[in-house]
Amino acid sequence: MRLITKATLLFLFISLLVFGIAGIITYGTVMKTVATETDYSIAMNMWLLENAIREGKPLDALQSDKTNISRVDVVAPGDTSYSFSDTMAMHPYLKRLEPHRKLKITRNIDGEYFRFVMFDNFMERDDVSDGIINLMTRLFLSLGLILLLFSFLISSWLFRPFQKTLQKIRTFNLKDSEKLNFAKTTTTEFEQLNDFISQMTDKARRDYISLKEFSENAAHEMQTPIAVAKGKLELLIENPHLKPDQLPFIQSAQASLTKLSRLGQALSLLTKIENDEFTSRETTDFSEVLRQSVSNFEDLCELKGLSLEKSISDNVMLPVNASIADILVGNLLKNGVRYNLENGWIKIRLDKDKLVVENPGLPPTVPTDQLFERFRKNNQSGQSLGLGLAIAKKICEVNNWIIHYHFKEGVHQLIVKFDSTP
Amino acid sequence: MKLLVIEDEKALADNIKSYLSTNEVICEIAHSYQEAIEKLNVFSYDVILLDIMLPDGNGLDVLHLLKQEQSEAGILIISAKNSLDDRIFGLELGADDYLTKPFHLSELNARLKAIYRRRKFQGFTEIKFNEINIDTNNHEVSIDGQPLELTVKEYELLLFFISNKNRVLTKQTIAEHLWGDNVDFLDSFDFVYQHIKNLRKKITAGGGQDYIKTIYGLGYKFHNG
Repeated sequence: MRLITKATLLFLFISLLVFGIAGIITYGTVMKTVATETDYSIAMNMWLLENAIREGKPLDALQSDKTNISRVDVVAPGDTSYSFSDTMAMHPYLKRLEPHRKLKITRNIDGEYFRFVMFDNFMERDDVSDGIINLMTRLFLSLGLILLLFSFLISSWLFRPFQKTLQKIRTFNLKDSEKLNFAKTTTTEFEQLNDFISQMTDKARRDYISLKEFSENAAHEMQTPIAVAKGKLELLIENPHLKPDQLPFIQSAQASLTKLSRLGQALSLLTKIENDEFTSRETTDFSEVLRQSVSNFEDLCELKGLSLEKSISDNVMLPVNASIADILVGNLLKNGVRYNLENGWIKIRLDKDKLVVENPGLPPTVPTDQLFERFRKNNQSGQSLGLGLAIAKKICEVNNWIIHYHFKEGVHQLIVKFDSTP
Repeated sequence: MKLLVIEDEKALADNIKSYLSTNEVICEIAHSYQEAIEKLNVFSYDVILLDIMLPDGNGLDVLHLLKQEQSEAGILIISAKNSLDDRIFGLELGADDYLTKPFHLSELNARLKAIYRRRKFQGFTEIKFNEINIDTNNHEVSIDGQPLELTVKEYELLLFFISNKNRVLTKQTIAEHLWGDNVDFLDSFDFVYQHIKNLRKKITAGGGQDYIKTIYGLGYKFHNG
């Protein structure tokens, strides 16, 4: 629900309460005023009758269905004061009992006491409340109508800076070189919001840039010293005075250096993917990428005695950067070859919505979904870096693909689903 | 072959020079962009080894300059950046090959020789090693004129050996040359052994000598006598 709708509804609800209370107060006030006025008019009539008696008009002539005058001899102390009260009496035209005001008083007129009992019909309660409800309803409806109309007209104007801010945030990209610039607004809250967001995004951008620079530099700077060390070892190998038992040390040092350099490259690749640096979304012929990659593995499979079974659908076109598609496929195939059995097999299946790589192997020593974590390997002492599946997973994540690892009845199965909608 | 190594890291440049300098190869070093430009103005080289990241300039500018002057020299880029885009960019600018740090010196040697062959002999590229003859254009090998059937990997292996004759090649170097990053060390050693076994068999069966010497615990050497 939009903020302005919420505010309007809340305001209307409060107005409803206020109008209700106002109605009750109005009703009370009106009733009180009407009573006072009625009382006053009865008293006026009484004074007129008093004058008439004083002038000697006969009592019978003065009687009416609303007036009863009688001569009295005994007067109680309270009888001479005005005594008004509510009562019910027959309405002359409506022929039913209606609320009336009643005055009871005993007056001394030229030494004689007369008792007056007079009625006057009172304004009907129903009429009053009906009138007030009617009035309040009209007022409330017109208020509500005007409020709704204006709130919708004003909201677009009032919330324009907010909408603009939202739009900016929506299109914000860490990789943009431009800072986020917000238009000036006179609304304090929006100004604060904009300030806060620009500070936050500036910090995020700075962090992103420094992280990116660091990871790139770390990976590059590492490679040159490794290249130097590797070269020295190669020069050392050429030395004819080396004893045969010294050679394995060189070999093992070389292997460690290679591993170190690959580790740096893999970590920097992972960071690059995380930083969304492969966002060029050209359409890639995934079938072709897969065929290429499989052909690179064919002789390795042969050497390892693995039978390779592939069923690759043609023209699987996917919106993905070709080089990370190649890395993904390479990592999955490498995984399939590495954790295979002697004289095992590897099955590769690609169709429009998924890629499946299957191979037999020993049961995994850790839960299969944990194999996607960095440095989580099936065989901790093995030669692999433990980053291949982490990279594969990251690639799937940035492309909104889903990757699953199943192990069932001695078969490892890796599935990449290209459509993330369930 | 006259070679210019443009590399700011002194230790690495020295490695390259020590490894490559032979009777056939004269190797000079430029440690900076400025030095490289000066040397290129005065001398001409067959092959230039170019590091993209130099302290006082970009290696790609050297490449531009060479292309402008329509230099005959072959160019091999070495870079710490292992990214496909850089690789393609460098090759599009007219470099002959691209090698990522850290590399094996024997790999560098093989690539330089390949560039040199292509440049120098402009298409007609035959390598002779005693009775073995390799036509690198058609990827054909013959022994004493008799054609020898080799698989792609065996051919690559033989070429790598002959490019690095009389040098020790570790199993790891060979494996990386043949399969790149796709293999693990332990597995690949067996694979290398199998390929070498097959290659030896084919060469000797074809009437050639067995030039491949096994160096225990380390690797192999292609050795003449």
